[in-house]
Amino acid sequence: MPTLTSSSTSSLGDVLGLYSQRQEWSDVTPLPQYEEANPAAPIFYSEEYKDATDYFRGIVRTGEKSQRVLELTETIIRLNPAHYSAWQYRYETLLAINAPLDVELKLMDELAVSFLKTYQVWHHRRLLLTITRNPAPELAFIAASLKVDAKNYHTWSYRQWLLAFFNDDDLWAGELDFVDAMLAQDVRNNSAWHHRFFVVFQSGLREGETDRGRVIRRELTYVKQNISLVASNPSAWNYLRGILDANHLPYTRVEEFVKPYAASTQDTSTTDLVDLENPPPPRGAELPCAPAIEFLADIFEKEGGKDGVRKASELWRSLADEYDKIRKKYWEYRIREALQTVQE
Amino acid sequence: MADFPSLARAGHAAHCLRCLSALPSSQTEVDASRLALAFYCIGSLDLLGVLQEKTTPTDRESWREWVWEQQTSGQHGSGFKPSPFMTAPPQAPGEAYTNYDTPHIIMTYTALLSLAILRDDFSRLDRPGLLRFIRSCQRENGSFSTVPGSNETDLRTLYCAFAISCMLDDWSAIDKDRAIAFIASCRSYEGGYGQAPFCEAQGGTTYIAIASLHLVPRTSSPLTPAERQLTMRWLVHNQADSGGFCGRTGKDADACYCFWAGAALQILGAKDLVQSRSLTMFLAKCQFKYGGIAKAPGEHPDPYHTYLSLAALSMYSPNLEPNHPSAASWRFDPLDPLLNAREETSQWARKHVPGHKV
Ligand SMILES: [Zn+2]
Repeated sequence: MPTLTSSSTSSLGDVLGLYSQRQEWSDVTPLPQYEEANPAAPIFYSEEYKDATDYFRGIVRTGEKSQRVLELTETIIRLNPAHYSAWQYRYETLLAINAPLDVELKLMDELAVSFLKTYQVWHHRRLLLTITRNPAPELAFIAASLKVDAKNYHTWSYRQWLLAFFNDDDLWAGELDFVDAMLAQDVRNNSAWHHRFFVVFQSGLREGETDRGRVIRRELTYVKQNISLVASNPSAWNYLRGILDANHLPYTRVEEFVKPYAASTQDTSTTDLVDLENPPPPRGAELPCAPAIEFLADIFEKEGGKDGVRKASELWRSLADEYDKIRKKYWEYRIREALQTVQE
Repeated sequence: MADFPSLARAGHAAHCLRCLSALPSSQTEVDASRLALAFYCIGSLDLLGVLQEKTTPTDRESWREWVWEQQTSGQHGSGFKPSPFMTAPPQAPGEAYTNYDTPHIIMTYTALLSLAILRDDFSRLDRPGLLRFIRSCQRENGSFSTVPGSNETDLRTLYCAFAISCMLDDWSAIDKDRAIAFIASCRSYEGGYGQAPFCEAQGGTTYIAIASLHLVPRTSSPLTPAERQLTMRWLVHNQADSGGFCGRTGKDADACYCFWAGAALQILGAKDLVQSRSLTMFLAKCQFKYGGIAKAPGEHPDPYHTYLSLAALSMYSPNLEPNHPSAASWRFDPLDPLLNAREETSQWARKHVPGHKV
């Protein structure tokens, strides 16, 4: 587990002073930033940043790659994690001096949490992993950083890259449980739903996943159960659509399941009899829910003919006027488009 | 209706002018993308139509000089670097760049647009070098890296390569088919596009994908009817009840996605499906008291969200009665959604960036 310290932008420089005042750096000629034109949007650099980048430009000119370059680039990165040249030079230095990469990864555990939203932190980590080729401990690290920010785009992309790049059965083995745990915390986390889709349908076939009929049934059951916990969850409804689209299955396949969610009153008579195929809306859910109405309308539209279009249009009309007014123009567009198909 | 707020145009212009004159040390993170920030500021003034009135010829001339100073040449060709953040005093005149101070493809795109806004004649543009630079950024899988040789790649850089080729009116530097295949590999089941293959659908990269597919000259339609419908559906579903757009399913609305989603819908010919009044109301609430537009109500403004909000407002208006006291404040010139610039600026770029073809 990485230490989840708060952002530590303070650098070693606080303790050791500016590079310009340190004896062991006196052999390096600092080079100022060179700018002739009147600068647009100049930054008032802190003394610390100016000092470190002056020495960095000096180091780049001589091409030195040494242990102390790691210290210098770390100083810069802590002051400006988006300084991609410092990252690039650091990476090359690590390789040149054969630095222990497990130490580097430890440092990255800390920096990743401080600078979660910075692309470079994750990019650097990828580069390191392509050398260490030891992806297994990364899964726990990623899970821990998702505790800080459960929808962080870089973090999720890194997990997807890691799985696809190493494509190791042991790595994949725990992914569905992992998604389960993430959705248990927040069933509306679209990143987790997306990840599930990636694992099940995008990443190729793996052991135990070859029986596609069984996998589809499992996924349909999974998403239906989740919808029956929180009905108006667009991420789950998109996942349901995704399963059917990806496998070229008609939406009618889940019509019986969808209907009660698109009805305005809950049928309480059958709730004692739990139908696993068609779990009912949660008690007290606000019904009908917009994604279900939309889904049912899609079924009717597909059915076609005057009757299908009429039924679909009624549903779209209810979305436009009552249940999803922000998209009124979209629902009216759907009505117009569908009507055209029967007027020809 | 009578109480629809005004757009504080003067305040937003002032915010951008302030940033152009100086940034506090808390903004050190833009050191390696300063040219983009300058573009958002100059671009905001352009969208507001106040560049001539709020800046002097000397200001504009000095910005042009600064942007040109970022054009740099070397072994991977020519383009623009983000700022002199890695530039040391040269040892000899005309020295080539180092591997750590190369042109950057996103900065090159923003540099060309900035110069077009400033109505530069592009006589100093190294066109053969620029083509060489773009070529050196394309990778095996069709995507483009930010700087030559880097592994840092995603859809944003591909869009920049396409936009530059479009402005140059020269697509010879890139392998279009491989690039288009890369875009397709970023498509998600939701109908949007992620930043890289397998990634979650996201509004910014969806704009990037859709705009790229429509920038490239080709005869066939870039999307199947079913794909287009699904993308439109996903985009309109990202309009939140607040009127603003969110970037991903279930996230909070953010001003910049009003542009990314709004522009993607306009490109798809589905602009009319946006609830324009609610969208502008959301952006009105994102205005900061002392100028500038923030990502959400109550947040602090920045040039990026200011520019993209104004670009969104160039496409979507609150449709107020002409005599409404706020109506004039919401009026904008039309925008070219493909290059993301005021139409007149885009035309200038398309006319002058190619130079005189022999
Ligand atoms: Zn934003």
